Amino acid sequence: MTERRRRYIRMYALVWFVLAVAGDIGLALGPTPPFQASDLASSQSTVIKILAVIAWPVFSAVVATIAFTLFGNRVAPHEGDIDPGKLRGDSRPQIAWISASIVIVLSLAVYGTVALASDQPGAGISTTSASLRQPASPSDPLEVQVIAQQWWFTYRYPTYGGVETPQLVIPVGQKIQFHVTSLDVVHSFWFYALGVKADAVPLNDNVFTVTPTQTGTYRVQCSELCGLWHGNMNADDAMVVSSSDFATWIQQQQAMDAPILKYLPAYSHTYEPNPPAYGT
Amino acid sequence: MGLRASIVAVSIVIAGVVVGFFVTQYMGHTPPTVTVSTSANTVEGRPVVDVTFTTVAAVGSGLHPNWVAYLNSDGNPSTYFHVPAGSVVRITIDQQDGASGLRNPYFGLVRGTVGNEMTVNHKVMTSINPDDAAHTFTIPDLGVSVPLLGVADNAPAGAQNVVQFEFIAPPQGTYRWQCFVPCAAGTLYGNGGPMQTLGYMAGEMTVS
Repeated sequence: MTERRRRYIRMYALVWFVLAVAGDIGLALGPTPPFQASDLASSQSTVIKILAVIAWPVFSAVVATIAFTLFGNRVAPHEGDIDPGKLRGDSRPQIAWISASIVIVLSLAVYGTVALASDQPGAGISTTSASLRQPASPSDPLEVQVIAQQWWFTYRYPTYGGVETPQLVIPVGQKIQFHVTSLDVVHSFWFYALGVKADAVPLNDNVFTVTPTQTGTYRVQCSELCGLWHGNMNADDAMVVSSSDFATWIQQQQAMDAPILKYLPAYSHTYEPNPPAYGT
Repeated sequence: MGLRASIVAVSIVIAGVVVGFFVTQYMGHTPPTVTVSTSANTVEGRPVVDVTFTTVAAVGSGLHPNWVAYLNSDGNPSTYFHVPAGSVVRITIDQQDGASGLRNPYFGLVRGTVGNEMTVNHKVMTSINPDDAAHTFTIPDLGVSVPLLGVADNAPAGAQNVVQFEFIAPPQGTYRWQCFVPCAAGTLYGNGGPMQTLGYMAGEMTVS
């Protein structure tokens, strides 16, 4: 190995190391979306952070290799013949990158499987029956139904007499069980800050459990192309508030809903549009 | 060869001009707006502007004569109007369509208007039976939603319900509004055609 080549490899290793370490420090210390507004968001944030920290050195190596191959390996015409066969048959770098890749991929697979198995957000299609009962204890989840329709989300709170509102307000620190359904086409309920994205499918009850951990005002958005106003089917007024503020708010909604409550259908996890076939 | 080449070239130019003409016509098309008149009186220092619609079961003319629509005072389908920020917007709707019922009964509630109420033929109402709704006038981003009471099936010809309500115009911007009754007869779930077309059952309010 020539002195020139040794110097080249040392330089390459140094550049890669500095790039990888500086990037990893930034990724590890910096905020990672979707941030910390709920238990789900925090766990997603952690997973993304770990993946990014592991992926960044690999990315740095690819960039450094391309850069060094393009610029570091240059041989000008007057410097003599180019030897094209230097790397051929050199098994050490090959063994190095193949075993590194195997270790990284397998350990991420193990981590991902463990994380998935231990993190049980209670998501999935529910077949439980609906009820208007109050939560028996604070550890019982608060049920909030998300009703999607062209083009607005409305929300029902079965534990508060089935009151319905077009604004989503939930108490902080309380386990929330979203029951997502649709009255017409397929929509998708996306509460980014909480790490919740659930398809709203007619005649289906899609369940998502999440505990918001930070108060604030957030955006909810439809994330399934659903017609003319799909792009505008969002609201910036979703709120996570203290439990006392929530109690005040839900009372206001109950008062506001008084004229319509008697016309609302009995609380149910899915609704069959009535009459079943409109417009025929 | 020279002749054929020039014929091809001329054809391409003509095709380009025709396509360009239609594209500019399409892009330059502005939908008819609804006339907004400023009333002489003010409420708590706010100017009052009047916007008037007629809702009909079928437009009767134009591209889609059998579609339901909001009409302006000229009798054309129109759902665009401009109001000044902070004004009291007084909407009057001559509702001439029959009831077809709400998919989500919640929208039978009047909300977001001044006093959370409307008048129907001068009678104050805060909700209607969702099955009796012909249309709604709903601006989701403002939380304004008003159900429009359908004309009874046995009502005499020409009968209408005059629905009136007021809300405060928000800060500058463009606000979408729409109907929440699946009123597009003959389309899938009643949500096609006029429900998906600006100018019929969906529109924009521009606040300036």
